[in-house]
Amino acid sequence: MVNGSDLAIKTSNLHMTYNPGLFARKKHALKGLNMEVPPKTIFGFLGHNGAGKTSTIKILVGLQFCTEGQAWIMGGDVRDSKTRRHVGFMPENPYFYEYLTARETLDFYGRLSHLDRETRRRRTSELLAQFSLEHAADVPMREFSKGMRQRLGLAQAIMHQPPVVILDEPMSGLDPLGRRDVRNIILSLRDAGQTVFFSSHILSDVEEICDRVCVLNQGSKVAEGPISSLLTGKVLEVKLAASGIPAAGIEEVRKLAVRCWHDGALYHVIVDTEEKAQAAKSRIEAAGGILRVIQPHRESLEEYFVRVTDGGAGDGSVIVKDKPAEVHA
Amino acid sequence: MIVAAIALNTFKEAVRDKILYVLFAFGVMMILVSRAIGWVSFGGSEKIMADVGLAAIWIFSGMVSIFIGTGLIYKEIDKRTIYTILSKPAERWQFIAGKYFGLVITTLVNLVLLSSAFLAYLWFSGVPVTLGLLQALYLTLIEMMVVTAVAIFFSSASTPILSAIFTTVIFFVGQLTKWVVELGSTMKMSAPWVEKLLYAVYLFLPNLHNFNIRDKAVLAGDALAVSGSELVLVTVYGLAYASAVLLMSHLIFSRRNF
Repeated sequence: MVNGSDLAIKTSNLHMTYNPGLFARKKHALKGLNMEVPPKTIFGFLGHNGAGKTSTIKILVGLQFCTEGQAWIMGGDVRDSKTRRHVGFMPENPYFYEYLTARETLDFYGRLSHLDRETRRRRTSELLAQFSLEHAADVPMREFSKGMRQRLGLAQAIMHQPPVVILDEPMSGLDPLGRRDVRNIILSLRDAGQTVFFSSHILSDVEEICDRVCVLNQGSKVAEGPISSLLTGKVLEVKLAASGIPAAGIEEVRKLAVRCWHDGALYHVIVDTEEKAQAAKSRIEAAGGILRVIQPHRESLEEYFVRVTDGGAGDGSVIVKDKPAEVHA
Repeated sequence: MIVAAIALNTFKEAVRDKILYVLFAFGVMMILVSRAIGWVSFGGSEKIMADVGLAAIWIFSGMVSIFIGTGLIYKEIDKRTIYTILSKPAERWQFIAGKYFGLVITTLVNLVLLSSAFLAYLWFSGVPVTLGLLQALYLTLIEMMVVTAVAIFFSSASTPILSAIFTTVIFFVGQLTKWVVELGSTMKMSAPWVEKLLYAVYLFLPNLHNFNIRDKAVLAGDALAVSGSELVLVTVYGLAYASAVLLMSHLIFSRRNF
């Protein structure tokens, strides 16, 4: 389908160019982004600061207009306000009217989402309970903590039960407990059949909960696909720890190591391949030592991210560093 | 429904703004001191009371429209509350219209309260409350609808300080547009292009002098200050001008990236 009516979100050749002024150079925030987000998934949207994540999100929710290309949500053009009936959005560090209470805030956003009075009343009660904000229902927003604001931001985004929820940096600035709460809410939304599309810099959270990710670098997509396909399982290094190795044995093991050190009775060795790890193990045992630990370290999403984005450098062209990175489900 | 929701929220915001109460208090104070001004002035103190009272209501209603209106849209952008509104299934024109009507309701409430205090004060002072005075108060409201639209226009394109300066200038220059045309006609022979330019300025700026029947209302006694047809005509002009300015605000706002 051209408009991706079978997808939750689709973008086609999306460009965004900012014109900062008469004498400044134009800034290309997005350079032909093509992206497909299947329904009922948790989709992580990754990139360094300035990679184009927020621009993409703002185009999807109608806050900005792309200079070229098109985007659809649930098959509807994002420029059509009716499409936004299918979307819930929470901006980074959501701001609310300070003089409204949590209950009034949810009621206000419910009215903007065309909900009738009875539905608004019911959903407000449900959401205040779901997000543990019942005790603060009639407290003005100016007295809310950062975590409470974030929870209310999520609540207003799903007030009208949209099939697609877009969150810009939902874990930003939260403490570990707050992050855990947000992670659990995102998982519960997916379990309820909603699609969650979110940007984040906290890659450990993304790796933990996302089904698929898209990585942007300087306005261009450098990778997209299921996390299991992107992370090849390649072993980057193996850590060994042994005791009771005589001096001659240590010399033999040291020849294979990238790094090694003593820690009390234990001798630690880091090698860069599984073959060298096997060889080191054999040499330790041959020298009469006892192997206590052998632990392979596989590539994490964070390491993958740094690898495919060149640590944020590069000219912004679409560089597929790793073939499996382009695997589409 | 969306326009009403945004208008109601704007009204709530304005009601919680201290500046509204400060302006209201000053307005009431001016009405109360009008009697003292009457004592130290030549002419009938009753007329001075009515004159100063109407002028106080006009100036303080104008200040409410300007000082609250010029920050309305800018504050939404600056505090990013606009993100969660425009990402809902709301059209951008609905946002502009909601902000506008919210401020018009605020101005209306302020004007009704000030007018009630003014008319009650006249009545207790034994000054007759005439239909002419009510006509003058009604046209002040229509004038404020125009000024509010101008304030919203600048607020959708500029910072609150610049918007307040521009709107204040238009608020006062708008009272003088009649003289702009007269000035042009005196230059008809020496510089015909100046006459055309001044006429264009006259057409572009709101002719707020149309809404000023305060002197007539004070002097009319029991008679009407203006006829019913004049009142309708001026109302239609005010609403048409406000609609045109709001349309321009929408054209600017609908193309903006946030």
